[in-house]
This record gives sequence, C-alpha cells and structure tokens, in this order.
Amino acid sequence: MTIVAQAILNGIMTGMLIAIPALGLTAIFAVLRYVNFAIGAYATVGAFAAWYVNTRFGLGVFPSALVAFVAGGAVGLIAEQTALARLRPSGALAVAIASIAVNLILENVIRFIFGNDLQGFDLPIARDWRFAGLRFGPQQLQTAAIAIAIMAAVFLFLRFARFGKAMRAVADNPDLGRLFGMDPARIAMITVVLGAGLAGVGGVLLGLDTAIDPMTGSRLLLSIFAAAVLGGLGSIPGAVLGAVMIGIGEELAVLVLPATYRSAVGFATILLILSLRPAGILGERNT
Amino acid sequence: MSSFTFSRRGFMGGVAGLAATGLVPHAVMAQDGPIKIGALTPLTGSGGPYGPVMVKAIKAVAAEVNKAGGVLGRQIEIISEDDQTNPEAGVRAARKLVDVDRVSAILGTWASSVTTAVAPICWESGTMLATVSGADAITALPHQGYIIRTQPTTILQGRKFGEFAVEQGVKKLFFFSPQTPFADSQFTNITKAVKAAGGETKSLIYDDKKPSYRSEVDEMLAYGPDVIVLGGYAADTAVLLKDIFRAGYEGKKIAFAYSVNQKLIDSVPPEVVEGIFTIAPSPAESSSAYKRLVSLIDVQNPDPYTTQVYDQANLVIMAIAKAGAADGKSIRDAIRSVSQAEGGTVVDNAVDGLKLIAEGKSVNYQGASGPCDFTAAGDISDSQFRYEQVKGGKLKLLKIA
Repeated sequence: MTIVAQAILNGIMTGMLIAIPALGLTAIFAVLRYVNFAIGAYATVGAFAAWYVNTRFGLGVFPSALVAFVAGGAVGLIAEQTALARLRPSGALAVAIASIAVNLILENVIRFIFGNDLQGFDLPIARDWRFAGLRFGPQQLQTAAIAIAIMAAVFLFLRFARFGKAMRAVADNPDLGRLFGMDPARIAMITVVLGAGLAGVGGVLLGLDTAIDPMTGSRLLLSIFAAAVLGGLGSIPGAVLGAVMIGIGEELAVLVLPATYRSAVGFATILLILSLRPAGILGERNT
Repeated sequence: MSSFTFSRRGFMGGVAGLAATGLVPHAVMAQDGPIKIGALTPLTGSGGPYGPVMVKAIKAVAAEVNKAGGVLGRQIEIISEDDQTNPEAGVRAARKLVDVDRVSAILGTWASSVTTAVAPICWESGTMLATVSGADAITALPHQGYIIRTQPTTILQGRKFGEFAVEQGVKKLFFFSPQTPFADSQFTNITKAVKAAGGETKSLIYDDKKPSYRSEVDEMLAYGPDVIVLGGYAADTAVLLKDIFRAGYEGKKIAFAYSVNQKLIDSVPPEVVEGIFTIAPSPAESSSAYKRLVSLIDVQNPDPYTTQVYDQANLVIMAIAKAGAADGKSIRDAIRSVSQAEGGTVVDNAVDGLKLIAEGKSVNYQGASGPCDFTAAGDISDSQFRYEQVKGGKLKLLKIA
C-alpha cells in the first residue's frame, strides 16, 4: 500500500513539472489552433538561460525562473514571427511541422553555444524527508509550490486580467473578438510569449531536480503532448489535470510493467484518447 | 555568347559518354580519387563528449599519412558523420557513407545499439567496420570478418565489475541499467562472479528518458543492497545518482567510467558522487603509441575510445598498404597481418608501418589502447582495466589491472 501511495506521490510531483509546459502548449493551441512542438526546445532554452544566470551570477531559484520565462518567451516570439506565423495561411499542419523544425534548430543552437554536456544547477542537494513511510524531497516541495503558484497566476490572468479575457475571447471566436476591437495578431503574439515562457519555466523546474542537456525539452515532449491531449487540447485546467494523470500513470506503470515501458504510457494515452474521446477529458469542442 | 543549340550527333555522343561513365565499375573509378574512410562517431547525444575528440584523432592519423605521401600513392580522405548516439540516425549516416561517399571502412561507432544497427549495412556492402562498442552480440553477428572491435566484450567487463564488487565485500548487489544491448550480458556475468562468492543480485532495467527515477530507486531500497552497479550513460546516471542520494542510500556504488566521468562529476553536487568507483578498459598509457597520440592531438589524457580509434585508423591504413588495394574486402583480409603478424617488426604508427611494408617487411602494430590483437570473431584478445574512485570531486586512480 505504501508503495502505491509513494508512486502516486511521485506521480503528482512529476505531473506538476509536466503541467507547466503543457499549459504553454495548450494556450498556444487555444488561440492559434496549432500544436507547437517547439515547446520542447523553448523548455530547453529556458532551462539553459536559468542555468546560466544561476551558475554564473549565483541567482536563486525564483529570479532564475523569471529569466527562463523571459528567455523562453523571447525565443518563442522570434521563432513565431520569423518562421511559424508566415505559414499560418497554409494551415495548422504546416505550422505544426515547421514547429518540429524549429525544435530541431533551437536544440542544435543550444548545443552549439553550451555544448553537449550535462549541466547541473548550483543548488544544494538534501536528503529526502520521510513521513508515514512516504518519501519526499525539500527541492520537490519547492518546485511543486512554484508550479502551483504559476498555475494559479495563469488562471487568475486568464480570468480577471483584461488581456487574459481577450485571449479567451479570441480563442473562442476570433471573428467576434475582432468585432469587439481586439487585435488577434497582438493577442497571438502575447499568447506565444506566455506559452513559450511557461515552457521555459517548466524546463528550469525540471532541471532543478535533475540535470539539463540540449535534449532536455525534446525528451519531455511526448509526456507534455500526452498531458495536453489527455486533458483536452486548448483546455487550460485540462492541461494540468492531464499532466498530473500522466505523471501518476507513468509512476504506477512502473509497479506492474518493466520500467523500460514507462514512456509507453504516454503513447498509449495519446492513442486511446484520440480514438475514444478526441476532445480529451475537459475539451469543449471537437477538434 | 553562342545560342543554345545542339546537333543530333553531339547529343548522341553526350548520351553515350554519360552511359559509359555509368558503366565503369566503381572500383576502377575510385582509383584516381583519394581513398575514402568514414568516421561514424557520436558528435551529439550521450556519446557527445567523446565523438569530437575521436574524429580529431582519426583525422590526425590521416593527415600524418598524407603528409608522408599517402598510401598506394593516394591521399586519404576522412568523411565524418554524426551517429547522434542513436541507431536510427546512425543507419542513415552509415548509408550515406556507404552509398554516396563509397568509403571502404567505417571507424569509431560507439554505442552498442548504433553498431548493431550499422553492422549489416557494412558487411552487406563489403565495408570494414571498426568499433569501440562492448556488447558481446556484435561480434556474434554473421559479419563475415568485416567487424573488428578494440573494446573488450561485456562478458569480460561484466566479470570485472562482479569481481570488483566481491573485493568490496558485496552481499547483495543491485544492478541499474537502461535498455542497452549489453545490459543483459553484463548482469549475467556480474551475477556469476557475485554468486561464486556467496552473494546475490537483482536488476532493474529503466527508461533512460525520464526526468526522475524516484519509483525505481524505491524498488532498489526495498531490496536493500550493499553495492549498486550503474550501467547507464552520463545523462541518465546523473539524474539517477541524485535520486539515489536523496533516498538516503549509503552503500557502495560502481559505474562505468564513461558515464561517471569528470563532466558528470562537475555537474552534480559533490556529495552525490563522492566515493563512487569507476571501471574502464585502460589505454596502454605507458606505450609509445599513447605518447605519440597525446602529442599528435594535443589532448593530455585521451579517453579509451580516442586511443582505440587512433589504433583503428592506423591499422586500416596499414592494411590497405599491405593488401595493395583500398576496398573493404582487402582491408578485411589484410588487417590481422598488420595487427599481429608473428615475428613482424613492432610499430606504433602507420607512417613507420607503411615504410616497412613498402620494403616488403612484415609489421606488428602495438597501439595506444593496447596490443591490438584480434580473435577470429573480431574481438580484442587482451585488455587491462582501470579502477578509479571519486574523492573530493576528482577521480583518483586506485589500480590498473
């Protein structure tokens, strides 16, 4: 029983990490209607930016995460404006495929600048705490707290901020949004900055606990995508729910399957959801 | 400028000329150009820290030989491709080297999964493949002699890991590894050595693309081992080591030197890696070939793979000279006559070897990685191992045996 509880706890923690970039992916999808696979690279960009300021200038976790948000968002905006936006008239598939190319290019740019080696954040490491037979780490708790704070901020922004409301309106009905004087192009740009920035923060949160290399984001892409699809592409609460479920699913799978097949959970989820309920758990429309 | 017209005769002549070039056998065409040799190394991915230096060593050997006049009167051209430490990318790169560049040999494949995937392309096209991969299964493939490897097999490596664990007084050993072609054989041979000394073992094969291994570590803790063997590559091992530390495991840890290398040690907090033992096939550091290599590429402590590809490049070039032909089959047939000719003059580089071969003498190459003698299956017949331990953030040599 403790083993199952521990796996669920581990899964929730992993899910929190996946949730942030999944939020970014789903936000971009909600407004721009395409799946941005470059989110993996944006996460890596964020992680490396934060790692740089953390190890070079000794910045702590919070300022580093802020730098990651800015770096991820800036790179995301540049990629969007130079490459992806031009392809929008050719349809969502063309943009999605181009985003795979952006992902590859960015990954290799990072490799070119920072090299191929594994990098670790300059943070103290602590032994785990034990409570009622369960094990969890101080760093995990901090990471989870940051993740929850970010999610809350995103929800509040979308619900109450003028811009957040405009984003939701444009996502719902771009034409109607335009009638009310909202500029879809500007909304799109801000959404990309927000989405890519969130991916960047996700990259750091992940790297804090582990280590980063140029493939960090790409490795996570499947889990992120599975989380967004499971929750319902375009649904913000869905992305969080999906991420936590994917996290728990992957950890529980280890108890019954050989650990090698853990990634298969992501694939199997995408397959099942797309064939049984393409809109996802919280998806509102059939897309 | 003349207008663009062409006569019927001119056109037919052109077509005939084109057809003729297509009909000339490749072997004949290849005679004029340089001799092409492929370097297929991991420039990116888990093997990324090794590939670039390996290519440097291969190119340095070629440059040295070219400067001395080349081989068979032709220059050597090294064509380098990146296998990305990924079998699928490795196959694409190998196809390009074999089909487009028409290399006669491919040197340097590093990950066992890549070598296993690339090997059939080589033996089917008659291309020599020299690898630094350790998985036993590689030389058991039906390669018709087209594979040689300079890395000791995992049977031997597994046994060394097991024996070292026994020296450390192991009772219960836990083996962590991602899915690799050698994980199984390594675990079997570790188990053999540990069981013989009265201990027991358990293994867990994990997915190396995970951000966290907490559940896997829980499974290890439940077993309660006093020695852990880590069979992964650097990226996954770094993550795993942190999780092992967090879980409060206090026992001994043994890892491959290619995963717990200085780069990994520098990238994690010192207490995470303190005390880890590493094991690696040892280069022949006292050999003259090793000293030549150090000055040739200006790298102070070349890793085992760099010393191995240096030897591979020297051997292949001398085999071409010995055979008097630069195709893969000739290299295959001649390579043992330069690596282990009985009574041959001992040489430590191709430039000296080529001179002797030109004089009609036989040579016996003694390399930077070791004596470089191969069994009929293509395995290296002898190797030393290097045992180190992480102390205060640095690797300290324990012994070479």
